[in-house]
Amino acid sequence: MTDISKLDLKGFCANSTRSVFHTMLSMAVSAAEADPSMELSGSKVVGCVGFAGDVIGNICVHVSKEFGRVMAAAMMGMEVDEIEDDEINDVIGEVSNMVGGDMKSKLCDAGFPCVLSIPNVTSGRDFKIESKGWMRHEKIAFQHQEELSMVEVFIKFIA
Amino acid sequence: MTLKVLAVDDSKTIRKIVSKAFSAYDCEVVEAENGIEGLSIASRDKPDLIVLDITMPVMNGVEMLGKLKGQPDLKDIPVIMLTAESGKDNVMQIVKMGVRDYMVKPFKGEQLIERVMKIVALKPKAAAPPLPSPYFSIVDDIQVLSLPGKSDRATLTEIEGDFNRSLKTMATAGLSKIILDARHVKEINMLVIKLILSVVESCQKSKVHLRFVGSPALGTELKGFQETSNFSINASVEEAKTTF
Repeated sequence: MTDISKLDLKGFCANSTRSVFHTMLSMAVSAAEADPSMELSGSKVVGCVGFAGDVIGNICVHVSKEFGRVMAAAMMGMEVDEIEDDEINDVIGEVSNMVGGDMKSKLCDAGFPCVLSIPNVTSGRDFKIESKGWMRHEKIAFQHQEELSMVEVFIKFIA
Repeated sequence: MTLKVLAVDDSKTIRKIVSKAFSAYDCEVVEAENGIEGLSIASRDKPDLIVLDITMPVMNGVEMLGKLKGQPDLKDIPVIMLTAESGKDNVMQIVKMGVRDYMVKPFKGEQLIERVMKIVALKPKAAAPPLPSPYFSIVDDIQVLSLPGKSDRATLTEIEGDFNRSLKTMATAGLSKIILDARHVKEINMLVIKLILSVVESCQKSKVHLRFVGSPALGTELKGFQETSNFSINASVEEAKTTF
């Protein structure tokens, strides 16, 4: 079993997020180091999936509401102005499921068996997700053109 | 024969991507949001293929697959699993349960079709028949002939000729439904009635199903002719579509 502190969580997240954007949305995103205090302001949508087993944790994908609409249009092959709010939530939930699913697989293969939850999506304005008591907490920023998004990972070893 | 595909996924987006992937082929895609719905539709429709997500609320894909394999009339339906989890334990588990193939998300529709083609034969959809003139259109699998508001003898003769030619291309494309839309006809004169009677006769000969859209006045006129006395008049193309 690998030491949890040595897992390249940022690398896992960066690769899977790039792959999801490239394959499902035909969009190129570049990963960047995020300031630990980074938050998206204004109206935003956050999709989270949890994993539980020898490790527990969450992966959350944060995007602005407007970028969420652009992502939904790209994934569903529709025009941006045709997209309804529930379609944005569905797409962000599915993106977090794919990024989280890849992370879960990497954890299982590294000797930390765990299962994945179904995604939950929160949307609103100026809210903040705070979570304490984790062994690892990483934030990775992603940029597509002028749009900045963020993937956050919380993880704790249990067994 | 149209291939029936059941797409089971809690995400509307993924169901849409799966449906779109099959849209170029002679397939009917039915959708379910979870394993319970999926099992119920599988029992009712006996699909030729199931595309099944794993992580779903109510009943997940692994449970649904287990129940499917336990039913003698459903156990041989080929299943392709969609999973966001590529870990080897996860993959081994679903392979042991008897899935024909699996795809790890993210995936493209074309990649799904490549996998499907290794399991079942997909036939490209027949091309829509060329439309003979601006008065003809295709709505779903129905040919719609919209008569112009005002027309002279030459125009109506031209439409009649185009219509008879279109019956042949419809037969080639496997279409068998026509809606004659006469809502915009301003004057129901003998030339219009003659064209309608000719359309009715040609449809009967070609075994094509015909529905009318028009005003109540047209309905009254048509009641007076033996050939059209049994036809009902619909107020819109949408309404007529529901009567087939």
